Amino acid sequence: MARRLAASEGGRGSRLAILAAAPLLLMLLLFEILPLIVVGLDGLHTDSGWSLGNYAAILASPFQRNAFLLSVELSLATAVLGVVIALPVAVVLRRVPKGVSRALLVYATIGANFTGFPIAFAFIIMFGLAGFFTLLLVHAGWIHGLNIYSLSGLVAVYVYFQFQLGLLLLMPALEAITPDLRDAARVMGASDRVFWLRIGLPILAPALISAFVFLFANAMGTYATAYALVGGNANIVTIRIGELLAGDVFSDPHLADALASLLVIGLAIPIVLEQILLHRRRDG
Amino acid sequence: MLDWVVVTFVALVQILPVIAVALNAVATDWAGSILPTGYTWRWVEQLLHDPRFTVAIWHSLVVSFGALVIATCVSVPAVLAAHCYLPRLDRWLAALVILPYAVPGIVLAVGLLRLYAGNYGVVLTGTPWILLLGYVPLGVAFFYVPMKNNLRALPVSEFLEAGRILGASDFAVLRRVVLPCVMPGFVVGIVMNFSLAVSEFVYANLLVGGSYPTLQILMNVLSSGSGHLLSVLITAYFLIVAIATSVLLTVSGRQDRAA
Repeated sequence: MARRLAASEGGRGSRLAILAAAPLLLMLLLFEILPLIVVGLDGLHTDSGWSLGNYAAILASPFQRNAFLLSVELSLATAVLGVVIALPVAVVLRRVPKGVSRALLVYATIGANFTGFPIAFAFIIMFGLAGFFTLLLVHAGWIHGLNIYSLSGLVAVYVYFQFQLGLLLLMPALEAITPDLRDAARVMGASDRVFWLRIGLPILAPALISAFVFLFANAMGTYATAYALVGGNANIVTIRIGELLAGDVFSDPHLADALASLLVIGLAIPIVLEQILLHRRRDG
Repeated sequence: MLDWVVVTFVALVQILPVIAVALNAVATDWAGSILPTGYTWRWVEQLLHDPRFTVAIWHSLVVSFGALVIATCVSVPAVLAAHCYLPRLDRWLAALVILPYAVPGIVLAVGLLRLYAGNYGVVLTGTPWILLLGYVPLGVAFFYVPMKNNLRALPVSEFLEAGRILGASDFAVLRRVVLPCVMPGFVVGIVMNFSLAVSEFVYANLLVGGSYPTLQILMNVLSSGSGHLLSVLITAYFLIVAIATSVLLTVSGRQDRAA
């Protein structure tokens, strides 16, 4: 319909429309597409010309390999935890009065964006060496101490924003589990457990996969929170890239580009797989 | 019953970090005890009189409102034009605005550093311009997605045709009829873009850093101190985000009632 409309304007409308869209397209080109292209090209460049040398160097270095490994582990763990915690909470939120669930979701919108120093420092106050909860647990005699500046500390802080993001992603999907569906299953004699295993989870599977991939990508790209909590001590990809950029000794500028390209490729794989998987489901 | 236990627990988990930081901002001392031993406004006053704080607030406001104005001026006409006249471009736009969600900010930061640090004759790094311009692609989705949702519910072409029969230009119809209808999506876009610019750390730290310190950069500087000043600063940041969010809620609540 829109095309017919443009034609009826004799092309003048669409020419004006292109003019109206041009500034945004230019900005996207200059500050989104070109930077990506430059990173991809520079990663293939070494001092001796075009080569895959940077990639070979990354693969040969246990340090860089471990950074990728740790990033993937951290992201897998927090994405799984995020979805696993968010799903039952989302189910509960559908049952409580609307005002209550709305308030929690509004806060989740903010909470999902609490990254970097604000959330890292809040966790240090609560779970740091002299943190409120640390002392509480030590006084109770349950633990001898906590180390928030560690991998498990990172997992805890990540999960804080991951589960709230998961909540936001899963709430709309739960609309598909209607009360009728539950009633019908109950009439047929299905227990709650059977309902979720046979009906609920299969219906939600695409949404759960999408949410998982989104959370995985979110965690893989997280820089500020890890930087704020453990600084350079976390051997994860984003921190390594940042260090190569900000480091005083910039020995190999193309290494950062190659690392960044690998990160993008690593994220593209699950996203493409997800698309293929979900499209096959829809077609089949 | 179990539902309410879950709800209470989630609410506590959500709000505790904010309370912890706010308490630490007014605590005389909070080391070695479960609750602070006393309360004081000393840190608040100290930070308010700190010239670094005034500068950082000013810089953050310049960057946030500046990026907001630029993002609004380029995004809103483009989203409207693409939806109404350029369906093929619209499909491209849908992919382009979502791209920053798949590509980590640090990757784009690397690219921006390569492009705008003087290698190609343009130096934007170290100036607020790289933030003002660089934040636009990151925040377009906040305009695109909610405005598209509003637009899909509207018979825009019928509006335009009716306008032409009555002698109104397309521009007048878009401005007087369509734009007011997409206001809710527009407001969401404004608030989310503002929050993004106030909260962003990767670009601010790696592309500009100390040469134009924002709130997030000051947090980095203060993180090596006692922590009380940092707590005051983070509380101020929480307040700014809370104000932005309540503006959003007020407007969207009014829309809900009107609908």
